Amino acid sequence: MSRETRVASVTCLGCGCGCDDLVIGIANGRITSVSPPCPLAQVWFADGRVPSAVRRDGADATLDAALADAADLLAGAAGRVLVVLAPEITSEAQRTALALADLLRARVETATSGPAASGLLAAQRRGRTGATLGEIRNRADVILFWAVDPSGRYPRYWSRYAPEPIGTHVSEGRKGRVVIAVSIGRDQGPAGADVRLALEPDQEVPALSVMRAVALGNALGELAPPLKAAADIGAQLAKARYSAIVHEAEPATEPARDPYRAEGLSALAQALNSPSRAALSSLRAGGNRSGAEVVLTSQTGYPMSVSYESGAPRYRPADRDLTRAAAEAAAILVVGAAEAVGASLSAAAKRSPVVIVGPRASEVSFAARVAVDTGMAGIHDGGTAYRMDDTPLRLRPPLQAERSAAAVLAALLAATLARRPGAPR
Amino acid sequence: MSAPGRLRIVGGAVHDPANGIDGETRDVCIEDGRIVADLPAGAPTLDARGMVVMPGGVDIHSHFASSSCNHARRLIPDEHAADPAPAPVLADGQPPARSGTGGTVPSTFTTGYRYAGLGYTTAFDAAVAPLTARHSHSELDDTPCLDGGIFVLMGNDEYLLRQIEAGERGRARDYAAWLLGATGGYAIKIVNPGGVEAWKTGQRNVTSLDDQVSGRAVTPRAILETLTDAANALRLPHPVHIHGNNLGVAGNVATTLASMEAVAGRRAHFTHLQFHSYGGGNGQPWSSAASKVIEYVNGHAEVSVDVGQVMFGSAMTITADAPVEYLLYKSSGRRWTNIDVELETGCGIVPLTYKDKAAVSALQWVVGLELFLLSADPWRVVLSTDHPNGGSFLAYPALIQLLMDRSVRDDQLKRVNPKLIAGSALADGLAREYTLNEIAIITRAGPARLLGLTHKGHLGVGADADVTIYSRGPDLATMFSTPRYVVKDGTLIVEEGHLRRAPAGRRLRVAPGYDDAVLPDLRRYFDRHATVAFDNYSVADLPGEPVATS
Repeated sequence: MSRETRVASVTCLGCGCGCDDLVIGIANGRITSVSPPCPLAQVWFADGRVPSAVRRDGADATLDAALADAADLLAGAAGRVLVVLAPEITSEAQRTALALADLLRARVETATSGPAASGLLAAQRRGRTGATLGEIRNRADVILFWAVDPSGRYPRYWSRYAPEPIGTHVSEGRKGRVVIAVSIGRDQGPAGADVRLALEPDQEVPALSVMRAVALGNALGELAPPLKAAADIGAQLAKARYSAIVHEAEPATEPARDPYRAEGLSALAQALNSPSRAALSSLRAGGNRSGAEVVLTSQTGYPMSVSYESGAPRYRPADRDLTRAAAEAAAILVVGAAEAVGASLSAAAKRSPVVIVGPRASEVSFAARVAVDTGMAGIHDGGTAYRMDDTPLRLRPPLQAERSAAAVLAALLAATLARRPGAPR
Repeated sequence: MSAPGRLRIVGGAVHDPANGIDGETRDVCIEDGRIVADLPAGAPTLDARGMVVMPGGVDIHSHFASSSCNHARRLIPDEHAADPAPAPVLADGQPPARSGTGGTVPSTFTTGYRYAGLGYTTAFDAAVAPLTARHSHSELDDTPCLDGGIFVLMGNDEYLLRQIEAGERGRARDYAAWLLGATGGYAIKIVNPGGVEAWKTGQRNVTSLDDQVSGRAVTPRAILETLTDAANALRLPHPVHIHGNNLGVAGNVATTLASMEAVAGRRAHFTHLQFHSYGGGNGQPWSSAASKVIEYVNGHAEVSVDVGQVMFGSAMTITADAPVEYLLYKSSGRRWTNIDVELETGCGIVPLTYKDKAAVSALQWVVGLELFLLSADPWRVVLSTDHPNGGSFLAYPALIQLLMDRSVRDDQLKRVNPKLIAGSALADGLAREYTLNEIAIITRAGPARLLGLTHKGHLGVGADADVTIYSRGPDLATMFSTPRYVVKDGTLIVEEGHLRRAPAGRRLRVAPGYDDAVLPDLRRYFDRHATVAFDNYSVADLPGEPVATS
């Protein structure tokens, strides 16, 4: 067994925190250690091994043959193709995938969750007041965890961003910050908060409205106890030097959460910027999901649910249903870790050909016409990914895979271009 | 001509002010992407007889490739839906172009195509947070037809403020040099020096050059002086690019003149000067102070400016001057995005409409035109709308028409709200009409010279073969909005008014030298306060080499 070598400043995409301070130990081509310890990082990096197969109709194939087949079927279905930007690929690969989608007049869907989509739409209706995570680390003296305990899905948020670290304007770290935990039904705030409030799901938006009214200095009449407590929290936020409202932007545990909470949170954060300063911190899943939305916005103006079918990008957020989009497609191209969206695609895969380019493509649980395994963003593929706050991150991969997603997609784009009418073959 | 090679542009009226050519009928010869003195007989020709030939346009100040722009794009799905942009149909054999969307902040590829369609071949994004430089470079990669780069925001940077506070101006200069190299930047940008940092605290803004920033021993004046000196000491191709304090505030002329005097005798570029040239305030109504400001500029050869003209219609205000955007949000009730960027800067965004019947909008329109029309030196007072803040870059042709044709200007003046413009120089009658040569100066030769782009903005031997050819016509706005031909690096990209090729642009960035004794301290600072690792901060892994250095 060879001695462990270590690669520093590695970026983890196991969640949206995008920690880029990991030290990865490597021996015999496998990851043998991940430091600092983080349960999601352990899962994300695992031993670093990914399959490197190329399959056509389930059988091994050469890459050239597989891509030729994929290009034939995608070009043949132009105008009725669904391109899915699944997680775990770099933004360079995402950009190339959109070039393909544009060429194919495809519909593009992302792995954006329903609640995250609601947050994006709320931001489009009224804007948003946010901050990069380091600003919260360095400035926030009051932190409101709105129905989320980050320790589960975002294990290092607490220690890396807030409330634990010492910040440029918070010299005492946790001691210098007030932590408020609001629970909504089964969605609990973190343990160890200084102030706590428990609300029922149907009290969520009314409580946000009351807090906003306090921030705006509006007079409030008599309030029932939970809302009175919410008003008190609103007053505490309004007196803060810099407050952060941290909420789960991905699916909640409590099934009865109010679908309009994203709008309420956005409105509250905006209102708090009159008496004080405030930022909304939306916790997002990893795998460079945010990158897909960033790249789509750059190239089309829209962050999700885009159709190129008319020859120019059209926004279709109301039709954002991956299962239905897959059912309507004549061919499907999944770019990224397809298993993450497999539940939505499995039925359609029985009727329409599916091409997958991404990590573990050959191991998906549904039928794929063409499957090309690639490396994972940040583990094998270098380039760029985006943190939950849309900060771009350099990827410094500790391992190499047989092929990168960006390179395979570039080859697929070239092969598809060659199938345009009049193109030299 | 389908590839860079030889081309003789025959018989056009050439406006090449950098080489003293003012409308002479002559040929322009191109070989391998450069202007050459002559070509052998039989070289391919392009008949430009009766047409106007100029260097490719150079935009010194625009916002089109940044994380802030992307936040703005996300804010306006309605505008995008109203302006779908199908992929242009390129010449046979070309890779297909890309579709996109327009509106006040178009998508990346569409931005490149539309700039090219105006005859612009070089543009700079004027405000990039260092932390997000990686994103800007990816957007530039997706913005074809334009050579370009980014100006790097430093005027509220925590590390820089610490050096100023400690009296370490040399260390501040080394940091600025390192930051330009690390981010692939081209110039140092200051936005509301100290004011953005104040916005993040209870102070919320600064209002004078000598305010302390958040109670620290740092003032806007010290920030201006430090970074102006740094840019000059580093011999950067473009001097410090200054968006001063009190943008958009009645009476801000005093701050603007004080800022210019603070760096007197040193090269400095003051940007979107229109937004900084207002009288009034302290209970007095807004008024134009353009004549006072331009008088200073006219008398100080070391100062250059771009105007930041307001054009009536839809705009998108995007700026690192976040406290200004908060005020716009409160006064307009429009959508508002604010993003505080750790340790470095801020970002505010509010969509806006400038209406000719609104008194302040009308005043802003007048102030910008006065700056142009009272300018004594077009080489130092160049064209911008601060796209998309004062209006889209697509409004440049209409602006050129206003400058060249007094009758059009006077007609429009009759229709605007007169409340705040009585007694202004424009209302009293400014007869000046820009000549074609002056237009060539303020849209290409001047910006190129101010940017230190020795290969751009002119048609002398050795220059980049970026050429725009216009058909003359009675309507100047139409003439300048639809060039007949555009040549980029020797490749004909616009033919008969249609985009036919869309080559990738080149990145313009600098890598000035610095004392690397700054690095250990920077590494400690990053370890303690930053959330991106020092080793991951630089964009050095991205392709391309610096092409412009001191």
